[in-house]
Amino acid sequence: MRHLKVFAIAAASAFAMAACSAGASNEASSPSDPVELTFQSLSDQSGAIEVTKEIVDSWNKEHPNVQVKIVPAGWDGIYDKLITQFNAGAAPDIIHYEAASIVAFARDGYLADLTELLDSKFVSDVPKGVMGSVTVDDKIVAAPTELQSYVVFANKTLLDQAGVTIPTGDTMKWSELQEIAKATTKGDVFGLGWGLKSPTAAMMAMGPQFDGTFFEGTGREATIKVADGELSLPQIVHDMAFKDQTLQPLSLTQSGSEVLASFYAGQVAMTIQGSYQAANIAKDAPEGFEWVVLPPLEGSAGAKQAANPQTLSVNVDSKHAEEAAKFINYFVQAENLAKINEADALIPASAAAQDIMAKNLSDQPAWETILKSGKYMTDAPYLFADFYGQWKDTVATPAFQQYFAQEIERDQLQQQLTSGWNDISGQ
Amino acid sequence: MTRNPHYQFVGIHNFQKLAGNEMFWESFKIGLVWAVSVTVLQMILGMILALLLNANLRFRGLTRVLALIPWAMPPVVVAIMWRMLYSPNAGPINAFLGFFGFPSGINWLGSFSLAFPAVIVVGVWVGMPQTTVTLLAGLQQIPVETMEAAQIDGAGAWSRFRYVTLPSLVPIIAAISSLNFIWNFNSFSLVYVLTEGGPGGRTMLPMLFTYIEAFKNRNIGYAAAMGLILVVIVTILLAIYLKLQLREGKEGK
Repeated sequence: MRHLKVFAIAAASAFAMAACSAGASNEASSPSDPVELTFQSLSDQSGAIEVTKEIVDSWNKEHPNVQVKIVPAGWDGIYDKLITQFNAGAAPDIIHYEAASIVAFARDGYLADLTELLDSKFVSDVPKGVMGSVTVDDKIVAAPTELQSYVVFANKTLLDQAGVTIPTGDTMKWSELQEIAKATTKGDVFGLGWGLKSPTAAMMAMGPQFDGTFFEGTGREATIKVADGELSLPQIVHDMAFKDQTLQPLSLTQSGSEVLASFYAGQVAMTIQGSYQAANIAKDAPEGFEWVVLPPLEGSAGAKQAANPQTLSVNVDSKHAEEAAKFINYFVQAENLAKINEADALIPASAAAQDIMAKNLSDQPAWETILKSGKYMTDAPYLFADFYGQWKDTVATPAFQQYFAQEIERDQLQQQLTSGWNDISGQ
Repeated sequence: MTRNPHYQFVGIHNFQKLAGNEMFWESFKIGLVWAVSVTVLQMILGMILALLLNANLRFRGLTRVLALIPWAMPPVVVAIMWRMLYSPNAGPINAFLGFFGFPSGINWLGSFSLAFPAVIVVGVWVGMPQTTVTLLAGLQQIPVETMEAAQIDGAGAWSRFRYVTLPSLVPIIAAISSLNFIWNFNSFSLVYVLTEGGPGGRTMLPMLFTYIEAFKNRNIGYAAAMGLILVVIVTILLAIYLKLQLREGKEGK
């Protein structure tokens, strides 16, 4: 019996030593025993999937000791998936997501602090506002990669027929958009279609154009402010739909891609969409369909849009956080970032990558305008309000939907948005 | 849901908070309307269909198989299919209405007044097969002699249904309607895919609400309290219903 026990202890310590030495050899990067990192990628367009694979492959070739494995996932339901993964301790090493939703995980302590690990050259090359969107409590928790802005796509033929000169300035006032919408509304054709089925994101992103910041303070203490600035944009939408009758009311209940169908069919002359739709329009529009991108919209407070970049973060429980951060630094190198953004039709976070993309796409005038809108990106307080996700789903989205369906008035919208926040945050 | 959380015992705090949560009770009301109306409609239409399928018609085997189709489809597929059917500018329903000169721009799932009824229709459609099949099985258990005796006594079709078929089916109706009620009250995927609770919360069933609380708002404890309350209330409702049904059955004899 006694012998057995001694033997067991000896065996156990031998195992432990073996484990130690395996760990040590990892640090010494012996080629026989490479580190494996998992990279959960959400890229869902075939081009982007391919580019992601290319980047990972070339990394793997250059770094035989640190092998990255792609774990494909989809955007649908990814929030639930990450919650489950983090709680079960099964999250990947490198996490692809977006600023608006990753902040909550950072606050809960699941993400590694990248302040020291990210390439400082990259950080300084990203606009401050965009970097701000991934900085939580003075710690950088993610590298911003791809951005989208809201842009106006217009059916050139319909605008020409209505005798509208296509605006070319650096920006375009909302009033100008309203004028064009009036000029192009005729018979069955509406001037504007805007897929606002899930309206909150768009309202938050473009709110800063009217100084509509919605929140003050951060974390659990953030307070809501719904005043004239915040209500300007909803009011414009409401007026265009029901007073001017230049915005197709049906589109307000549809998703962006559903409205694109009306856009192709010539039922709406213009549509406000995420910039990434440029790639889909180029691909899906019927033959002979002439379209242009109008200059970035500008409100009373400028052309600012709240940045909600896609992000790459490192799991705080990753055994190889440093290697993971190195891979992220590799991924965000200007050439790689330009490639992946081109595939996704999004705007790269760093200026260097934007330059490369502008050069590559110089033959496509629509892209020049879209890339220009990238310089108006700013950070937004809503990213740092702890109960934002909850408020968005249970309060803001239903309230905006009701307002855009004429179920409630502006005062009620203001009241619902405010009191709903106060209920949720316990203020 | 923080990393390495420190749990603390809050006693009945979550239940107290829930009692004052108007949005939850609002969605609870929607859930009741949904569950009752879908169950009742399923029962009526299922009964009609079962009687038809029980009759000696041609192609009976084929039609019985066809009636099972909704059952064979996963709820998410059903919801996606109906979302296409309902689509305001590309959907066959509107195209059909337009063909016959009716208004064709109806925004079924986006309109505040139509979304809930439209979702109920889908709920009824998807739940028809199990109701029909169960009732059909019940119908075939009714002895032919009883029917013939009633016929000889001069009972018409309606009287035969009212005084022979229906009383024999009571236990089956009680069983399938209570099961349907539970399923319908707890249904999630169908409405989640169709409307996500919109527009403006008009189709926010309690299960959707609980899901959002748990996974979007990450208040697992609070959501668990909601789930518990829902179970308790459904149990009470069912207990009352079944007691009434069974008493009726006894009195009938």
